[in-house]
Amino acid sequence: MDYLDSLVSIFSDFVNPRKRVFLGYLALSILIAFVWLLIARRNSMGQALGRIFDRKIFFSGSSKADYKVFVINQIIAMIISPMLLTQIAIATALFFALHEQGFISKGVFEDTNAGLVVALFSAAIFIVDDFTKYLLHRWMHRWPSLWAIHKVHHSATTLTPVTVYRVHPLEGVLFGLRSAIAQGAVLSIFVFLFGDTVDLYTVVGVNVLVFVFHVTGSNLRHSHIGIRYWPWLEHILISPAQHQLHHSIARRHYDKNFGVALAVWDWLFGSLGLSEEDESLEFGLEPGEKGYETGLKGLYLGPLQEIARIAKRRVSAPLKR
Amino acid sequence: MTLKSLFLATTLCAGTALSAESYGPFPVTLQDYAGDKTNTVSYSGQIARHVLENSLKKLAANGDGGANAAELEAQMLSYFDGSDADLPIIAPVSKDGFAIKQTTVNEISSGKNISGKFYEGAMPAWPGNMTGKQVAYHMIKKAAAANKGFDAETGYDYAQLISKFTMGAMAYNQAVDNYLDEKLEADNKPNNAPYSDGAAYTGKEHSWDEGFGYWGAPAHALELSANDIYNVSKQKSGDVADANADGVIDLKSEMVFGPAYYAASFDRSGDATTYAQNIMSAYLEGRKLIVSAGGEALSAEQRATLKGYAATIESNWELVLAEASFKYAGSVYSDIDKLKAAEGEEAKAEAYRNYGKHWSELKGFAMALQSGKNNLGATAVELNNLIGFGPVTLDNSYVTGVDADGNFLKDKRMTWNDYQLNMLKVQKLLSDSFGIKALNNNQLADLEGLAEKLGAASNAETD
Repeated sequence: MDYLDSLVSIFSDFVNPRKRVFLGYLALSILIAFVWLLIARRNSMGQALGRIFDRKIFFSGSSKADYKVFVINQIIAMIISPMLLTQIAIATALFFALHEQGFISKGVFEDTNAGLVVALFSAAIFIVDDFTKYLLHRWMHRWPSLWAIHKVHHSATTLTPVTVYRVHPLEGVLFGLRSAIAQGAVLSIFVFLFGDTVDLYTVVGVNVLVFVFHVTGSNLRHSHIGIRYWPWLEHILISPAQHQLHHSIARRHYDKNFGVALAVWDWLFGSLGLSEEDESLEFGLEPGEKGYETGLKGLYLGPLQEIARIAKRRVSAPLKR
Repeated sequence: MTLKSLFLATTLCAGTALSAESYGPFPVTLQDYAGDKTNTVSYSGQIARHVLENSLKKLAANGDGGANAAELEAQMLSYFDGSDADLPIIAPVSKDGFAIKQTTVNEISSGKNISGKFYEGAMPAWPGNMTGKQVAYHMIKKAAAANKGFDAETGYDYAQLISKFTMGAMAYNQAVDNYLDEKLEADNKPNNAPYSDGAAYTGKEHSWDEGFGYWGAPAHALELSANDIYNVSKQKSGDVADANADGVIDLKSEMVFGPAYYAASFDRSGDATTYAQNIMSAYLEGRKLIVSAGGEALSAEQRATLKGYAATIESNWELVLAEASFKYAGSVYSDIDKLKAAEGEEAKAEAYRNYGKHWSELKGFAMALQSGKNNLGATAVELNNLIGFGPVTLDNSYVTGVDADGNFLKDKRMTWNDYQLNMLKVQKLLSDSFGIKALNNNQLADLEGLAEKLGAASNAETD
């Protein structure tokens, strides 16, 4: 029974509407891709289906590695997630600390219209979450030690919705911590200021804004279907093509589009790259980078070895003023 | 399954299976008893004390701000110390649909008082370096001089303070630190001798019954749901209370008093606890065990089992007092929110009055918790520091001590935010130290509920 339970829980994300790879969202993504290929790309039905269910992509060495990493990471997450700092621990600590602040009084905005509070909270959680994801993602590319970890994700040479799980466990830990801090902070500040009127607008148990992100094809970010938005919209929302450009091997695409749902962060901080007409992008790491495209050992141990090398270099390097 | 949970499960199953069983009547087991009594259950003295406490609580709210102080104090003391006269029952009294059989205390039991059975250990939760009993006298004196029992200057609601403190310092203390404690020893009130000369009951039978009386549940409590027990206490369901259907509620066996009421109140608030059933079943099983000894001295094994029931009663009772303190700390926290939001003198005064009431319940229960068998040590010190001697009052000052004449001193101030934080810490302390489960008025519930709604942060999607 335990064995079966574990097996089921490994794949539970596919039936959990809180997760991007929920089957319903995947089905909608297929539909969106199909309609887009028919209308914008003027594909025939056969061509469109062939593009969407491309065997060369779904059964490439890179994709097969994604599937293995998915299973292994789910198991690792089950073991380590109870040890991670939770957003309620952070929220409680901050909630206590807020009481000690002299400049602001508990429940100061308690009379605010309930609908407004719920809308504000739902938006704040979404925006702060999205911004901190942008920030951490940017750091993952900038700092050598973090890049060593994040390279696992970028070593994918074919993209499928499961590629979102192709990350080193340490990256999972960092993003979990980010989420705990971001959500814990928003949670405690809102409850402190607005009291018990704070609530979340949810659809199928998920923040309505996250739901909108998922039903509008979030899964296509990791795919070969380069759906583009109008340039003005790509300044506000990241299109699938923009994220694919982020995975591109071409030098001119480096350090572009760190954003998840919103493009405004990239726009604000100068890392925005609009999608391009030419959609034949090559994905993966620069040939010079140590590649760990398909080998599991390389994917899991490579980053650790590289971090060790970086640390060793730092320690042994003569101190420079 | 651990031995402990097996034991608990057995106890609970027994409780359910025996749900029609009542605490009494139980037969005479005393071997050379020559009298004509057929039932040995007797705890009317404890019921009289519950009634004295209920009446004292009512009297505590009768002050007119000083003019009737001397007279009222004397009246209150007659209930606290007992009286040669037959005292009228001030509470509970009959009301529509809930006719009560007795109208005077002596109709229940004569010659009873509260003071003789009051906790006399040190009570550091109250200023003035006093014993529990001295604190009660201090409160009575102050209550008599207050306006309807409330002193706006200090924020004290004396009716609540006296009543909640007494629930611990008399009922809880007598049960867990006397009748369920030393009276279970082999040489103290043995089972092969009458409790006192000429009595129909054995030493152990009557000791156990007295412990039961302080718990304040009707004999047929196991037939009742937590809701029923709550409603009987509120005098809402006369038909449920009237076990023998004689049209009147006999306070001696059919009424619910403080401790049982609070236990049931947490049980009915959710599925997390079964305090009332746990305690009631343990009392019933313990009494049946004593009967089964047939008037012989209890064996070491029998006494060990009996002590197991006593431990169940004691631990559940302590949890109830911790739950009550937790609940009212939460009320005080939200009362401060309301106080901040109140506009206009009248609204503010009303909010302040509620705040004083809930604070006094918190304080009374926190003191009750410290009146048991266990020395709570550092937990008690921390609890007392967080709650303080008095609530933060309207000018942000609070009681910090008493002078040589017993007058309250208020020479410190605290912000509302800081005091709210103290209440959060009180809730955390109680929940961490006692492992309580009902957690009524949990001020972190909003945070916890929202965090739940947002979902676990682990395994978050990256890009």
